[in-house]
Amino acid sequence: MSESLHRVAQTSQGASALSPALAEVAPQVRPLGFTARLVRNPEWFTVGLIIVTCLVVGTMNPRFFQFATLFDLLHSGTTVSLFALGTLVVLASGGIDVSFTAIAAFTMYSITKAVFAWWPDAPFVLILLCGAVGGVLLGLINGVLVHRLKAPSLIVTIGTQYLYRGLLLTFVGTQFFMNIPHSMDSFGRLPLFFYHTNDGLRAVLPVSVIALFLAAGVTWWLLNRTMMGRGVYAMGGSLPIAERLGYNLRAIHLFVFGYTGMLAGIAGILHVSTNRLANPFDLVGTELDVIAAVILGGARITGGTGTVVGTLLGVVLVTLINSVLILVGVPSTWQKVIIGAFILVAGTLFALGRRAG
Amino acid sequence: MSTAPLLEVVDIHKRFTGVYALRGVSLSFQRGQIYHLLGENGCGKSTLIKIISGAQPPDQGELVIEGVRHARLAPLEALSAGIETVYQDLSLLPNMSVAENVALTSELAAHAGRLTRTFDRRALARTAARALEAVGLPGDADFQATLVEQLPLATRQLVAIARAIASEAKFVIMDEPTTSLTQKEVDNLIAVLAKLRADGVAVLFVSHKLDECYAIGGEVIVLRDGQKMAQGPIENYTKAQIGELMTGKQLSNERYRQAEVMDGHDIVLDVKALSRSRQFADVTFSLHRGEILGVTGLLDSGRNELARALAGVAPADSGTVTLDGSIVRLKTPSDAKWQRIGYVPEDRLNEGLFLDKSIRDNVITAMISSLRDRFGQVDRRRTRELAERTVKELQIATPDVDKPVQSLSGGNQQRVLIGRWLAIDPRVLILHGPTVGVDVGSKDIIYRIMQRLAKQGIGIILISDDLPELLQNCDRILMMKKGRVSNEYRAGQLTEADLYHALLSEAA
Repeated sequence: MSESLHRVAQTSQGASALSPALAEVAPQVRPLGFTARLVRNPEWFTVGLIIVTCLVVGTMNPRFFQFATLFDLLHSGTTVSLFALGTLVVLASGGIDVSFTAIAAFTMYSITKAVFAWWPDAPFVLILLCGAVGGVLLGLINGVLVHRLKAPSLIVTIGTQYLYRGLLLTFVGTQFFMNIPHSMDSFGRLPLFFYHTNDGLRAVLPVSVIALFLAAGVTWWLLNRTMMGRGVYAMGGSLPIAERLGYNLRAIHLFVFGYTGMLAGIAGILHVSTNRLANPFDLVGTELDVIAAVILGGARITGGTGTVVGTLLGVVLVTLINSVLILVGVPSTWQKVIIGAFILVAGTLFALGRRAG
Repeated sequence: MSTAPLLEVVDIHKRFTGVYALRGVSLSFQRGQIYHLLGENGCGKSTLIKIISGAQPPDQGELVIEGVRHARLAPLEALSAGIETVYQDLSLLPNMSVAENVALTSELAAHAGRLTRTFDRRALARTAARALEAVGLPGDADFQATLVEQLPLATRQLVAIARAIASEAKFVIMDEPTTSLTQKEVDNLIAVLAKLRADGVAVLFVSHKLDECYAIGGEVIVLRDGQKMAQGPIENYTKAQIGELMTGKQLSNERYRQAEVMDGHDIVLDVKALSRSRQFADVTFSLHRGEILGVTGLLDSGRNELARALAGVAPADSGTVTLDGSIVRLKTPSDAKWQRIGYVPEDRLNEGLFLDKSIRDNVITAMISSLRDRFGQVDRRRTRELAERTVKELQIATPDVDKPVQSLSGGNQQRVLIGRWLAIDPRVLILHGPTVGVDVGSKDIIYRIMQRLAKQGIGIILISDDLPELLQNCDRILMMKKGRVSNEYRAGQLTEADLYHALLSEAA
């Protein structure tokens, strides 16, 4: 750190040969303190919490440290990760979306029902594609509303959450499907990798985790390598300034909510496939868990920040707490307490760090 | 260099809800020249800038950029045509890196705003490095990766100019760029402007500080009531002439302060050995009823911190403050309010006003509790009367007290803030830089109001680094240096040169 600062000072001295006054302004870039660096790379805090949690759980129950645990984590984290990646994009753009669970529930249930009714042997790829398209359409409605009404996205998406869910339960149906279409079922059972544990159980890594890695890669690429991604962060930094600089806010709004909708739609289909159950009452209500994960991954609720890596770490942390604490006999009601405490600690730390920086 | 103008503004008209903002303004701008756009708040300066930068379309008239006529411009078209505007807020994205702030805009403009494409990060870094080095900032990867929110204001300003350079701007508009800079930083900015000018860039500079305009040189354009009053080399005009062109009135340098209130009068405020760790120490002075006491010093002198301590914003650690004979406790802004100490902060936009609330709400906010009836309800009629009285008394230019404060010009906003404190019938009024970013005509009104308030018996503390302002308005002036009061002067017996010399020698 001190070395890089030295370089900054040197360069500005080089420039000062041109105009002596210039050196006065440049070197004011101070070295970053510990908290300031943490604020810049909040992912490390998440990594720390994950390590602490693993060590605590691992010492209490050594069986924690085996591949099966990792498989479990990946399995139960897939749906949440897709939601979280969408939430990351919305948060980075300065908005918030609480309707994605309703979008997922709507698409997964309607599509499952439609497939049963019209084409029970439909290939899985087609079903997945329908989920994605349905999610995009519902997401675009959010995007259009947010852009046109210039209303806070929280309010718009609270509205559409109720709307999508209400329409689903009123017009599509309220009955569970315990049997799901054949192609979805066999996809859900398809292992990417499996082995037999010492106690003779089969530990399976389902093929759906590929979606997790694909979505993470695509989201990372979109955010960091395309102008659209930069536009998302620009809009999250300041909407009026981004507009003044020539960013097309309508396109960005549509992209952000459409993309989140797409991930939600895909997540819904995967959720049905791996759980072998289509329940229209499912998912809605878990938005806060997802938003908590993204915030624990370092994204600011005020927008303009957040990374894919941080978001995935946040998901790992939340999933870890939700699914692994049971291993050591911690009652499930304590999960909420721990997540809440982590968020408060993280929030306080980042707020203090920003004030210091 | 061709002789055809870089940019021509032809007979521009613009109305807002029936009121003329611009009435047939025609201007022409040459390459490599610096232009100073001067005029009172509300004369149409901002509107003109917005039309040139494409933020607003004109009702009538056209822009001719290098011979190409445009009836109206979109922001992106203006950018692609090489017109770059550095607004007061600098239009930087705080959450993004220096490199992205500098180079992404030109990247966007070069591809007509298309977002569905990737970008070349190495080319971005190269563009950013070149532009940053041109304004004297480091171009290395570390600095490029720094987030703008972590930079001090003066550096941000240079980053904004670097963006203009990266966009190969031919015409750079700068809206009051020096308002919050120190002298050293202003000098630096002027050096960068000279370099831009040498490269054939035209600069349109909007500022209220006439001295700086003379220091920079170039052409002056004066607007008044939406019309062009003059355009020509700045050295052809004296300050008084420019002031007259701007206001239509003759302005003088005479002292506003007539009465000298000092010894023998009641002391309203007595400050003894006031200290706050690392900011100011052992500050002792007294303020008479109806006196105007100036406080000045350099930025690190502790003058700002002293004001904030007296207002209870950042309270003192030790020492006593006596008001009308009794020692008072000033630990919070609310304490100060109950003691009837009014504080008009320097940064009125962030610390003082509720910009999107009405003038009425802003005026009554300090005294809201005394406006309650016995059911705890605020009497709308009384608030309206109070707001209207304030508007009249302080000559605030507005048709309606329910208009949001942000619809007012800077000088009028400042008067709303003063009016808020008048509503609590203050014993002491602390005015911190009351005319920063305020035009000449508005300054005159604020000075007159200040004198009238002093005459009514309010003790006024005027904290300012505008030396003529202090000399024209105060009875005494306290000079602060490194957190201590180093000297006291009688304003009536001092020239600007004396005070300036004292300020600098104090610093050495």
